[in-house]
Amino acid sequence: MFGYYLRLALASFKRNPGLTALMVMAIALGISVCMITLTTYRAAAKNPAGDRSSILFAASIDSWDPEDSYESYDKSLAPTMLTYRDARALYASDIPDRKVIMYRSGGIYTRADKGMEPQYFRTRMTTADFFGMFEVPFLYGGPWDAKADTGPDPVIVLSKDANQKAFGGANSVGKVIHWEKRDFRVIGVLDTWEPMPKYFDVSNGSFEAMEGAYIPFAWGPILELSSHGNTNCWKTEVIDSYQAFLNSECIWFHGWFELRSAEKQRAFKEGLDNYVLDQKKHGRFPRPLNNYLYDVDGWLKRNKVVDDDNKAMLVLAFAFLAVCLVNTVGLLLAKFLNAAPTAGVRRALGASRRDIFWQHLTESGVVALAGGLVGGLLGIAGVWALRAWYGRFVDEALRALPFDANNFLIIVAIAVGAGVLAGLYPAWRIGRAAPASYLKVQ
Amino acid sequence: MGIRPILSALMRNRAGAILVALQIAITLAIIVNAIYLTTQRVTKIGRPSGVDDQNIFAFWVTTYEKDYDYLGMLRDDMSMIRQMPDVVDAAPMNQVPLSGSGNSSGYYSLPDKKGENSPANTYSTDDHGARALGVTLSAGRDFEPNDVVYTTADARAPFTPASAIISSGFAKALFKNEPALGKDFYDDQSHPIRVIGVISHMQGSWVGWDKVDRTMLFTYIAPPSTQYVIRVKPGSIDRVMAAVEVAMRKRDPNRVIETPMRKMSDMKRRSYAGDSLMAVTLTTVTALVVVFSSLGIFGLATFNVNSRTRQIGTRRAVGARRYDIVQYFLAENWLITTVGVIVGCGLALAAGYWLSTQYQLPRLDLYYLVGGVLGLWALGQLAAWQPALRAAKVSPAMATRNI
Repeated sequence: MFGYYLRLALASFKRNPGLTALMVMAIALGISVCMITLTTYRAAAKNPAGDRSSILFAASIDSWDPEDSYESYDKSLAPTMLTYRDARALYASDIPDRKVIMYRSGGIYTRADKGMEPQYFRTRMTTADFFGMFEVPFLYGGPWDAKADTGPDPVIVLSKDANQKAFGGANSVGKVIHWEKRDFRVIGVLDTWEPMPKYFDVSNGSFEAMEGAYIPFAWGPILELSSHGNTNCWKTEVIDSYQAFLNSECIWFHGWFELRSAEKQRAFKEGLDNYVLDQKKHGRFPRPLNNYLYDVDGWLKRNKVVDDDNKAMLVLAFAFLAVCLVNTVGLLLAKFLNAAPTAGVRRALGASRRDIFWQHLTESGVVALAGGLVGGLLGIAGVWALRAWYGRFVDEALRALPFDANNFLIIVAIAVGAGVLAGLYPAWRIGRAAPASYLKVQ
Repeated sequence: MGIRPILSALMRNRAGAILVALQIAITLAIIVNAIYLTTQRVTKIGRPSGVDDQNIFAFWVTTYEKDYDYLGMLRDDMSMIRQMPDVVDAAPMNQVPLSGSGNSSGYYSLPDKKGENSPANTYSTDDHGARALGVTLSAGRDFEPNDVVYTTADARAPFTPASAIISSGFAKALFKNEPALGKDFYDDQSHPIRVIGVISHMQGSWVGWDKVDRTMLFTYIAPPSTQYVIRVKPGSIDRVMAAVEVAMRKRDPNRVIETPMRKMSDMKRRSYAGDSLMAVTLTTVTALVVVFSSLGIFGLATFNVNSRTRQIGTRRAVGARRYDIVQYFLAENWLITTVGVIVGCGLALAAGYWLSTQYQLPRLDLYYLVGGVLGLWALGQLAAWQPALRAAKVSPAMATRNI
């Protein structure tokens, strides 16, 4: 029977090719706009930490100005970075299973043998747990250990890209690279690693490129390595030396803590509050006690990684799809009612109401499937255009747009579902029409 | 002509009429808000920067060798670049307007953190800075060579300039409507800074900042790195960029020069990428929604005309003029559209309210709503026009015939 309905549907399309094309295009455009915005939204809303999201925590403590909250739009929020003193204090806690404090620096790297052109690498000053905590993949060698942190040992981990520039991509473990008047021994080279959004450092751009080099945190104060990233200060302080900068209320550090049990999470948060209460006795933390531990999900929301534009566009896209579907329902209805005499004849010849209903629903389904396929292709073209046009030189977030077959299938399925839904009422309506009235005028 | 026959005819195909009205309602909600948002983004993108942003490029120059003669390098680079053909002027600068990256500090109109206070993007440059940016001074004078402080100490050492050229936006924030020229303002340690010039308008580094028009230039040069900002004659930017890169490498290979060098027009486009993407998407969707709504109205009107051929013929046979038929269908369409826009006004206001809470924007401007309603009425009449004309062509003889 289905085959017969399909033939009837095709015959009906031939009768009104313009109208059919209009319905297909309505669904296709509605679907493709949704696909494009959904893809951008999902790219921004991705949580790259996966199932570790709920055990990794970023610390946010309110060390800010008593006169002025950190965020003007929400006074209840605390700063998203830490002062040097607070980062060190939190790092001293033995509650976390793993702990990382870090900031971004950078500078010109050279090789004593002149084997590379001097290059600027962004450099992450971090602690040993960084690599395990954020599941960083290694191509050669491996991370440094906690002992190297305390030394600190002159060791360095290079990104795959930086290793390409510095050593032509060869296994450079054990080789030496020069930075800030010191030699560093390569201990590991990373494999391709680009978590998007870059959740562990959203303060310097959620879709920024990864750093080229990683060096033990303790080298920062020793070599007086400045912050090559967001640095915010509120207090009137005379900062006339690197040490004064470290002692200031300026924030430029991140602290991440792996807390695998609810108990540890509670204990660590309590420790955080107690630390701040204790510091208050020494005249710091003039604002009311206001500290947070965010898991990765919470952290991405706190930092508005999915921005308001993304949300507004998604809502707009679905409103547009709604218009397209309402349009299709109206057109299907008009089309079916126009062809009502034919349905009347079929009823008179013995087709049941149910037959008429299924016949017309099949027709809607075919329209929807065609709309879905065309829409999916348009959507892919749209995503491609976005990446090519905006991603090329404008927006890192768009360059990272995923391009997968799943999106396409989901969208086609949504289209068919929506199209069949749109066909339900018209098909039911035509099925109910009394055959006699049509036969009379014929 | 009464509205009752129209209503009773409509009731025979309620579903079709309701669908079109619903479509019009959602359409109104979408286009009113989309046009409102687009207008705001387009206005934002179109703001003048006050800087010659189409004819400037910039790049980082970073030194790394111990005891490198940084000031000598600057002097030699600058005298070389400033003499190159098509270069208007060049200057070292710590940050570049519209680039999205830079720094700011807070200042006060009185000592001891008193009086008005305001942050400003701080441009540390030499006596060619204002000319290299192409800003216009509305009062006072430009920097002179002996205003520039050169040091071999690290740039991190604290420094407060003795004088500055400030943007009118910053001047207004500090001194309200009083003339700023010759006045002092203060940093948080109460060091005075004398205003020697006022720029009529200059945007800073972050286009999304609500204080983007608060900027100041001062003259201070310190190692180990800076950006070179180079302004060229219109149309020569690509040529000069390539020539500067070659000349810089040739003059001294022992520092790192950022390549590819960045055009300010690209930085600007990049800074406004989100806004322009939003504007393009909103405009496209608005256009598509309008097209589909008109096609929907057209479709329904065509269907109504087709299914009422006999009725029309009968009316013509009993004396209705063609004009009456056209009027009948247009009135029917107007009725449906009106129901649609009434519901749509509610939807549009609700969506506008939601958006205003999302963006902390002023509530939807009612003019946009009025415009949307008028536009949709016109659109409805236009879309129904052709089917109505077709209806008017139905011959009175139809009344006597079977279809």
